[in-house]
Amino acid sequence: MKNKIKIFRAMHNLTQEHLAQAIGVNRQTILAIEKEKYIPSLDLAFRISRYFGVNIEEIFIFDEKTPVLVPHE
Amino acid sequence: MKKNTFYLVTGCIALALLLIFWYSVELHTPLLIEIAFIIGIALVYLAQRRVTGVINDERDVKIGEQAMMRTMQVFWVVFCAFSIGAVMQILYVPTFPRPPAGSPPPDLLGPRMIGYIQLGLLCLMIFLYVGFRIYYARKYGDFETDEE
Repeated sequence: MKNKIKIFRAMHNLTQEHLAQAIGVNRQTILAIEKEKYIPSLDLAFRISRYFGVNIEEIFIFDEKTPVLVPHE
Repeated sequence: MKKNTFYLVTGCIALALLLIFWYSVELHTPLLIEIAFIIGIALVYLAQRRVTGVINDERDVKIGEQAMMRTMQVFWVVFCAFSIGAVMQILYVPTFPRPPAGSPPPDLLGPRMIGYIQLGLLCLMIFLYVGFRIYYARKYGDFETDEE
């Protein structure tokens, strides 16, 4: 899953440390998410997007290559 | 409590446990070190809860969970293999020609050997956990360098 955290951080002039403290995680976690080494939980993803005041999909981009099972109606 | 104080306390507890272990060996009283070990671990957990300034976030939890799960997946196979050997001791069936009546069954695994194997299993578990912990920490970006 790709994300735009780095861009949003730059827009808000925030360091990884500041963002990490604000949402209650380690700086290394922010770094891991930015480098796409770790996919955050839904809870953390919402906290990040709420912090920047945007919708979750504006920051996290779902990888369309991942197969999605659509339930039968 | 600060992080370094916690490490100091943990080191002191480990040292105390080592001394008690030695004393326990001298006295031939395993119960002493067994009780001391449980109390020691409980004290470490209590001290850990008082540490401030350390955030244990979801990524840390996930690394710990994955490492422990993989450790158990490998460990239970080794442990069961050993245990099957030990169970043979209980299910001993005399071979042919049958030994004279009243003769004790042979020691397939002597108590000393069981001790050595358990020590090996303990070391294996620790090494597996540390190894998997490093692997998953690397996988989830613990050793990533940053441009900031």
